[in-house]
Amino acid sequence: MSAALECVDVAASPGGALVLRGVGFSIPAGGRSVLVGPSGAGKTTLLRAIAGLQALDAGDILLGGRSLRGVAPHRRRVAVVFQEPRLLAHLDVVDNVALALRAAGVGRAKRRARARERLEQVGLSAFVNRSVQGLSGGEQQRVALARALCAEPDLLLLDEPLAALDPNRREELRGLIVRLQAELGLTTLIVTHDRAEAAELGERVALMLEGRIVQHDEPRALFERPVSAAVARFFGVANLLRGDVRDGLLAFGGAHIAVPGADGPATLAIRPEHVTIDGDCLLRARVVESVYSGSFVKLVLDCAGQRLHAQVPPGDAPPAGAQTGVALPIAHLWRLPGAQDEQRVGTAPTG
Amino acid sequence: MPDTRLRRSAGVLLAAFFALPLAVLVVRAFADSWRAPALVPQHFGLRGIREAFSGIALDAFANSLVVAVIVTAIAVAVGWPAARVLGERRLRRPGAVFVVLAMPLLVPSYATGNGLTEWLLRLNLADSITGLVLAHLVLVLPYVIVVLLSAFGPRVTVLEDMARSLGLTPLQRWRWVTLPAVAPTLAAATFLGFLVSWSEYGSSLAVGGGRELLPVILLPFVRSDPQIASALALLFLAPAIAALGLAARAARSPL
Amino acid sequence: MDTRHPALAAPTTPGPAAAVVGRDAARARVRRQRRRDRVALAPALAIVVTVFGGALLGALHASVTPLSATASAGATLDSWRALFADPAFLDSIAFTVKLAVVTTLAATGCALAVALMLRSRGTALRALASLPVPVPHLLVAVTAVLWLAPGGLADRILGGLPLELVRDRYGIGIVLVYVYKETPFLVLLLLAAMGRGLAEREEAAAVLGASPAQRLRWVVWPTVRGPLVIGAIVVCAFVLGAFEVPLTVGPNYPLTLAEYASQATQNDVLTGESLAAAALLFTAVIAIALAVIAVRFAKDPQGA
Repeated sequence: MSAALECVDVAASPGGALVLRGVGFSIPAGGRSVLVGPSGAGKTTLLRAIAGLQALDAGDILLGGRSLRGVAPHRRRVAVVFQEPRLLAHLDVVDNVALALRAAGVGRAKRRARARERLEQVGLSAFVNRSVQGLSGGEQQRVALARALCAEPDLLLLDEPLAALDPNRREELRGLIVRLQAELGLTTLIVTHDRAEAAELGERVALMLEGRIVQHDEPRALFERPVSAAVARFFGVANLLRGDVRDGLLAFGGAHIAVPGADGPATLAIRPEHVTIDGDCLLRARVVESVYSGSFVKLVLDCAGQRLHAQVPPGDAPPAGAQTGVALPIAHLWRLPGAQDEQRVGTAPTG
Repeated sequence: MPDTRLRRSAGVLLAAFFALPLAVLVVRAFADSWRAPALVPQHFGLRGIREAFSGIALDAFANSLVVAVIVTAIAVAVGWPAARVLGERRLRRPGAVFVVLAMPLLVPSYATGNGLTEWLLRLNLADSITGLVLAHLVLVLPYVIVVLLSAFGPRVTVLEDMARSLGLTPLQRWRWVTLPAVAPTLAAATFLGFLVSWSEYGSSLAVGGGRELLPVILLPFVRSDPQIASALALLFLAPAIAALGLAARAARSPL
Repeated sequence: MDTRHPALAAPTTPGPAAAVVGRDAARARVRRQRRRDRVALAPALAIVVTVFGGALLGALHASVTPLSATASAGATLDSWRALFADPAFLDSIAFTVKLAVVTTLAATGCALAVALMLRSRGTALRALASLPVPVPHLLVAVTAVLWLAPGGLADRILGGLPLELVRDRYGIGIVLVYVYKETPFLVLLLLAAMGRGLAEREEAAAVLGASPAQRLRWVVWPTVRGPLVIGAIVVCAFVLGAFEVPLTVGPNYPLTLAEYASQATQNDVLTGESLAAAALLFTAVIAIALAVIAVRFAKDPQGA
């Protein structure tokens, strides 16, 4: 049955170098979270640690309240779908899927029947007796998914499951994963380096930077209410305006912006898509660069000495070198809490 | 970490297992008399060394060296183009070629040498270096080809295409791009080829006749005079170690 | 103007005529390359085929033309008949086959154990394990004599060996030498077979609940089975031709097939060469048969 996952202060050093530095992280039973971050941050290391393939230097991992310390990987009830399918070439598709049941001692006919059910769930019922050699990457990955589900684990881990697929297949598999997870109510953790994929895949998204979880929240919060400048940068919040708040107002480029919170130094974040060009605005800027990107134009503006990035429909874009007014809608301005990059902020899970 | 201690002790054990037996050769070679049940020789001396460096043994050493060098050179020269074709997988049916190349390695070399003497007698090549070279070559060539072919493939072809697009002449391409790229494997193949010829006994005995090679004159001494046998064995071992050192250095140096 | 040069009038995309020319040019290029490949392979294959083939033919010729008084009659099977009538030869076959089988089983078993231990270890240990590879068989045999013979170092250290290991009736010394030399060769073969993605597939099986023993049976063994069988056949064929090792550490009776042949050339000048050639040809044929079996097995691993 699905269990809750909790990582407490996990530290690990694969290959000698310290990668995980005190990771604290939890997923409720039946929840679906995505772990995202740049390469080298430690996402795969954490996943391997949860699966039992990586030893811990310190900390603990609890599944359903029970500690996994010292438990061998084949005894944890954790199934993994790796980045490569890792199928066994000498077995056909059904026997590959039924591997976990075979290990548990289930009889041949029964385990093949259950494997066939799983293959149907992932849409591969036509492939039952095929050899794994001729399958495409997407089909192999679905077999790997069926194999993991067939193990009926308490926790499902997926390591960059969509990375090796072309865009169409990626969309298919993404939908399949989300749908199956909701149907089965299986606690799931997905690792990806792509922020858009993270938003589409997860009920909640955790950003890992340099071996620590920096923010674990619903996707929208990471994209619009990042907890630090590092989080903002990862999620494409390219505009970080720094200034001093006095009497609740931040002076910026000739205009005053009402800013909530205490006086003092502040960093305001706003996504490029929310910056609009408005000739009547008090806030003036000079267009430094204008790049046509097909569906929109990317503008780099110089506003009171600070760089502003904007993304506007092609019709609204002024040419490079022009002076124009810039609007920063209050609704989309977000004041970064505090000056440290390592604050952990999370709202209560919505599910 | 307990794992590194285990690794180190396993390494020491393995090294001892392989180096220790050979150490006794050194001791025995310098032991003029070493009667049982003593664990250390009664007299140390240079009798064994003197005999080993006497006329017959030095002739045999020279013969072995000459044959091995000639055979290795021919094997690399002839084997390189073949290894290239096989390594770059340009053959429709490579299996047949591999079977032909593998045959001489599985059949006892004494048989090959013995069958060859028929022809060598007719061609007046008995007792000649040529006969020995031919007999060794058929053994060394397959080894050299099989090792060398792993060096060739898309990795090298891509580099050569790049060199061609930069305007290098074929000779420049070969010297500055191809050769450095295959150098480590080439060193290994050459080393292996030399060793196979150097160590070869069966066909050396069958074909040798007047021109005795080192392993052939060594063997009888094992029963008759172990000290001389040990000294000759050290002589037998020396070029192999030298070749290993050379190959290791060549594999690491940039050209 | 109608008199424009065809090239100038050509559209930007090549028409059907140009496509045919392009295809012909490509085919000609492939033909040239194939010819170059044949030329590249020719010297190597020519050497092996003429020298080795010639040697087999030479052995065949010698085996059917003994130098006995009635040799002028032409080809005869006298030598072959004498060979199989000789109890020493039959003993030799039995002895050599037993040596080959025992050595193959022992070397295969050791190599499997060592390879399993080394598969997650670094390159340093692997390099150490492959040290015997460049050492000549004869050298190992000489060392074996110094250590294991009666009166040898082991005898002196232990104050007496429990069994005879050198020049004994069963050829234990021969087996020890060949196992010492062939195990590293098989280990390298196995490690090469294990390298490609085996560790990853084992991890995948582990997280699905497969215990270490189950992983060995269901993931590791199917991967190494093929190369191991081929390696075993190669070792077997090689030991069948054992020559200098039994000459050094083997008994005076029984002899291996190659030793028997060598002995024959020294016994009787008239028939000796012919007998030897026949015995060696016999051994060669068995080795070739094993090679064919190995190739067949490599092509269809499920069949064998």
